[in-house]
Amino acid sequence: MLTLVNFDNAATTFPKPYSVKNSVDTAFTKFGGNPGRSGHILSLNTAKAVYSTREACADFFGAEPENVVFTLNCTHALNLAIKGIMSDGGHIITSDLEHNSVIRPIYALSKKDCAYSLAHVEADDNKTVSNFEELINSNTKAIVCTLASNVTGQILPIKKIAEVCHKHNICFILDGAQGCGILPLKLSDGVNIICTAGHKGLYGPSGTGLLITDGNFSIPSLIEGGTGSSSLELDQPDFLPDSLESGTVNTMGILGLGAGVKFVSDNTVQKIFAHEDKLCRQFISGLSNVPNVIIYRNPSCKYVPIVSFNIKGLIANETAQILSDNGFCLRGGLHCSGLAHKSLGTAPDGTVRFAPSIFNNEIQTNSLILLIKKICQKY
Amino acid sequence: MKTYLIALTSITYAMKAQKILKSMGYYCEIQRTPKNFSTGCGYSIRVKGDLSEYLMILKDNNIKYLNTMEMGADFG
Repeated sequence: MLTLVNFDNAATTFPKPYSVKNSVDTAFTKFGGNPGRSGHILSLNTAKAVYSTREACADFFGAEPENVVFTLNCTHALNLAIKGIMSDGGHIITSDLEHNSVIRPIYALSKKDCAYSLAHVEADDNKTVSNFEELINSNTKAIVCTLASNVTGQILPIKKIAEVCHKHNICFILDGAQGCGILPLKLSDGVNIICTAGHKGLYGPSGTGLLITDGNFSIPSLIEGGTGSSSLELDQPDFLPDSLESGTVNTMGILGLGAGVKFVSDNTVQKIFAHEDKLCRQFISGLSNVPNVIIYRNPSCKYVPIVSFNIKGLIANETAQILSDNGFCLRGGLHCSGLAHKSLGTAPDGTVRFAPSIFNNEIQTNSLILLIKKICQKY
Repeated sequence: MKTYLIALTSITYAMKAQKILKSMGYYCEIQRTPKNFSTGCGYSIRVKGDLSEYLMILKDNNIKYLNTMEMGADFG
């Protein structure tokens, strides 16, 4: 039987830490009440467990626990943030390296009463920051951008972009999907709203995400419903997290996410980054003398541990299929980021993405390098 | 020693209040807010002693309270 090696951790990390599995198991067997809906022991114990994760996430990102909102995924969090902040119309700026979770909500808003502009991300951070600032006008309400491209891994200069936002008193929304758990990130870096996935670098289960705010910009609700609070009022509660958390939360996922955040905190983002970055450097170095391999990196840029590549003569999905047939799981194609691939010149076929996690090792990486070399000899 | 209920906006604030108060050595238990004490569902913290001290701590930690009530014997 083929042994599978997962190098598609930028889509979702797998395997998960054993502590995450244990935490989900415990949630199923012990925390079966509906948190925040009743006064009985099961409900209160479950609420306490959910609050522990809220608090752990708050500590991790330097927030107040009530400003941590549990979502279904990063896309959900981004929709809440972008559509909430832009609910009265206006102008929003984003980068040309964005995932569809950012550009599609913005594009949908542009069909109504919002305008948007795309800032070009360059190798030179100062030029990138200038590109953002030059697009600000009197109607601009927010800048939203990714912490790191999910295609190439390029890290954006978010502290400098945050300074621009503060200077112009506009909201800074960050898509942290590819950076959280790998790069140190706090609200004190200047971000007003962090949106991130729970199931990627934070090692939680699928179906978990986070919206974390500093509370300086009010986010009107997109979804109204039961919150277990102010139930006689027809208006949605205006306080967090209830205003953005209608309906029963994903207790099992949230408790798993809590264990994931603890796993990352215990291992530290610095050590996780160093391990994964080492594997990326091994991967790049191992393929540097293979003429048929194109690697999409610029020596002037900083990257999270993601490497996009192609093999000449094969389209990305063909390469990914051959790798899969040999037990290596890598994502080929557009990575839900058509805009980024157009900007990089890799549309319409995209690239293949190497994305290790803390659980990958040098032997696996070397085996992948050897396989790619064999493929290159054949095609 | 008198026992009071302090109605809070949500379970999250009740949890936050309990954690802070217990870490300071105060008595604090969470319960569902009784009928006629708030605008529908909600959570309260049950505290014992000087109510003003509790309210000051809540204020210092930006925890908004909706109402307070001295509890009778029936509430235990």
